[in-house]
Amino acid sequence: MFFLSKIADVIQIHPEKFNMRSEDALHENINTKYANKVIQGLGLCISLWDICWASEGLCDVYTGLCNVNVEFRMVVFRPFEGEVLQARIVSQTEEGIHLTVGFFDDIFVPGSELADGAQFRPDPDSNGKATWVVDLEEDDEKLYYDNHEMVHFSVLSEEWHDQTPTGPVEAEADPADQQLLPPYKIIGTMNAPGLGVCLWWQE
Amino acid sequence: MKILDTQDALLPNYEVYQLLVDQQVAQKRAQRPAPGNHQIICSQVLTYLRETPSPLANQEQTKTYNNNSAQTLVDKLRPLSLGLEKGELLQIMNLRPSSSALLSTVVEQLEDRLSEEKQAALLEIIAEVLGRDEPTDKEAIESIENGN
Repeated sequence: MFFLSKIADVIQIHPEKFNMRSEDALHENINTKYANKVIQGLGLCISLWDICWASEGLCDVYTGLCNVNVEFRMVVFRPFEGEVLQARIVSQTEEGIHLTVGFFDDIFVPGSELADGAQFRPDPDSNGKATWVVDLEEDDEKLYYDNHEMVHFSVLSEEWHDQTPTGPVEAEADPADQQLLPPYKIIGTMNAPGLGVCLWWQE
Repeated sequence: MKILDTQDALLPNYEVYQLLVDQQVAQKRAQRPAPGNHQIICSQVLTYLRETPSPLANQEQTKTYNNNSAQTLVDKLRPLSLGLEKGELLQIMNLRPSSSALLSTVVEQLEDRLSEEKQAALLEIIAEVLGRDEPTDKEAIESIENGN
């Protein structure tokens, strides 16, 4: 689920931080720049793990900013294919179920990847709100994918959408592209024994 | 920015948890607030890791995970020669499967690869090294208290 990525970058330290220990100032600047951001093809950065190497600082004559070359390792969230994670159901539509892990919301399980025989239909028990339901053949029981329920899902694939802005001419040519797609999206599956709502599998 | 190594190392959830807890303590001591985006993501990740049925939900009280957990687990599983992959071991650390249903999601082709006795032995070792789910934990604590 989490792994370490080694990144090299130039970090600029503002003169107001010159009274701090240089290590602390670097920590703060790296976290400001990277934490809670998605790097294309890498994943969602969580926090700085450690600094591997740092150069001497070079001060810019005009701005007073101190430029430091740093190599550091970030904790990055990017579950590998087939990894099982726990998540919470946020909402559901005819297409499928949206999940969240709290710090990352762009997880989607399409309806075809739910347990066999799952249907999306309004339910009299939940004020007519439509939910995905699995009918069990054996004893006429029903299993519901309720909102806010904890589930286990397995990672099927991932989608990356670069959000680098396009030029105005290009953007006008294709208005469909202007819709903001999430930079990183996980497609999951819950169609296997052990997956699905956690409560179903508790002994 | 240049990416030198996309996957330098895999991290079990426990190590991330420990890093974030240590950072929070250090920040309180330094009395200097962390950058907003960093603070938000860290608290959200911690909340997620502490949510039941995550095995780290009661880490504060039970302390079932420690820095040697991974090593102990690998050492204890070696005599069984199960042939588990690195990713499978990592997921066992992260999810702490307590039943063969959940174990089968973590270990590919569980039925073919491991006999039922081996599955039971594996679950036993997982429970021994990484602890059990909440109710059993409470019972264990009670039984210790009664014993004393």
